[in-house]
Amino acid sequence: MISVKNLYKEFDNRPVLEDISIDYKPGECSLIIGASGSGKTVLLKSIVGLHIPEKGEIWYGDKLFTEMNLKEKKNLRKEIGMLFQGSALFDFATVEENIMFPMDFFTDWSYEQKLERANFCLKRVNLVNANKKMPAELSGGMQKRVGIARAIALNPKYLFCDEPNSGLDPTTSILIDRLIQEITQEYKITTIINTHDMNSVMEIGDKIGFIYKGHKLWEGSNKEILHSDCKELNDFVFASNMAQQLKRFI
Amino acid sequence: MRKICKAFCDYLVMKKTLELIGEYYILMTRVFQKPDKWKIFWKQYAIEAYKLIIDSIPIVTIISVFIGAVIVIQTANNMDNPFIPKMYIGYMAREMLALEFCSTMVALILAGKIGSNIASEIGSMRITEQIDAMEMMGVNSANYLILPKIVSATTLSPLLMLLSFMVGLLGGAMIVILTGIVNYSQYVEGLQFAFKPFYIYYSMTKIAVFGFLITSIASFYGYYAKGGSLGVGRSSTKAIVISSGLILVFNLVLTKIML
Repeated sequence: MISVKNLYKEFDNRPVLEDISIDYKPGECSLIIGASGSGKTVLLKSIVGLHIPEKGEIWYGDKLFTEMNLKEKKNLRKEIGMLFQGSALFDFATVEENIMFPMDFFTDWSYEQKLERANFCLKRVNLVNANKKMPAELSGGMQKRVGIARAIALNPKYLFCDEPNSGLDPTTSILIDRLIQEITQEYKITTIINTHDMNSVMEIGDKIGFIYKGHKLWEGSNKEILHSDCKELNDFVFASNMAQQLKRFI
Repeated sequence: MRKICKAFCDYLVMKKTLELIGEYYILMTRVFQKPDKWKIFWKQYAIEAYKLIIDSIPIVTIISVFIGAVIVIQTANNMDNPFIPKMYIGYMAREMLALEFCSTMVALILAGKIGSNIASEIGSMRITEQIDAMEMMGVNSANYLILPKIVSATTLSPLLMLLSFMVGLLGGAMIVILTGIVNYSQYVEGLQFAFKPFYIYYSMTKIAVFGFLITSIASFYGYYAKGGSLGVGRSSTKAIVISSGLILVFNLVLTKIML
């Protein structure tokens, strides 16, 4: 479980996140949604420690992340997997080496054991026979799969995904979403996904937090989101004319 | 009013410079930590040695041959006094190569070649979030990416200096044989005349320091690159300009200290 309490973050004296409080449970896909520039990525990066918040607390289980020293944070990060917006696969390494990278650092496994685990992860994301390919040779969807395989390589307790569908076609997006959901439920991972893709919201949003101009304005599930009376949320969810017309029938 | 503006600008420049030095120092404290696994460090060391040093052998060789030859021609042209023995051409070529060209000139060439390579490589990794991915895994990205580069360039660049020195002398010998500008035996006699091994150690020390400067400064600018591909380009340019400037400053300082 991850708890965020009264989080405040600013850049150059300009507040980007203000008083954000939210809880994320294991086995659930929790989504952070909001328009571009609303502070979604800053929130996600603050939770994982890539940004240091000015105020507030972040709890991983019973451990207070914001008070941890570097060594404690490093130990915790072995339990965290992250899928980046652009996949962030290492250019200098093959698919197999990318997945084995965290194993090289944090396990004493033999090469055969690491290869076996890498193959298992690749099979889990439905990507076989790609071991020796370089990231540049893969399509966007395949890169995301490798990113997920790398993120789950060390059996993480926490999984973070920053816009996992960006740049993907709707069919591949749904496949990636379902894959993340399956992995989350199968391994009881606490998963936080940052997105503005409404397909993802409706497909896998067990819990959704809506961020608007640095504030959390709404929290609920994918079943509740269509019936919300939050104006800003409705403007975001039903942004297009077609969606506004559809809303009249809901 | 103008004086106040000038003082304010000076203050801003000073503040910016101090901030840069501070950021550089903080990065270096992260770089110079015990590697998570020595096996990974030595593997990266070998890779960087190949990329930074072995890959630079062709360009250093080509430039050294031609510079060696040119030094011999120019020295010969400027020594038309019959009272000065011709063997001094070889002696002068050797001293010029050993004292200045093979360390400072080679370092300036390396600043362009490997400085831009390092800054753009690390900068690209920064803007594509590969460095964030490493940090997320709990890997000290600065230590993993930068330390092998600094150690390989610092320890192995003296070998490039030795190579450049030998090839430069060969270039001189080649022009002597081809043009007959001076007798070959006189050239060789000049090369052996009053040889001080300390000059070679001095030159090797200088290029080791320059190797450290080039790799650490290029890594620094790459590591803090921002602003997309344009930002990476700017980082590369800054890395080359600053490291070249510092090479010249440290050349002066080391020469004053060591000679």
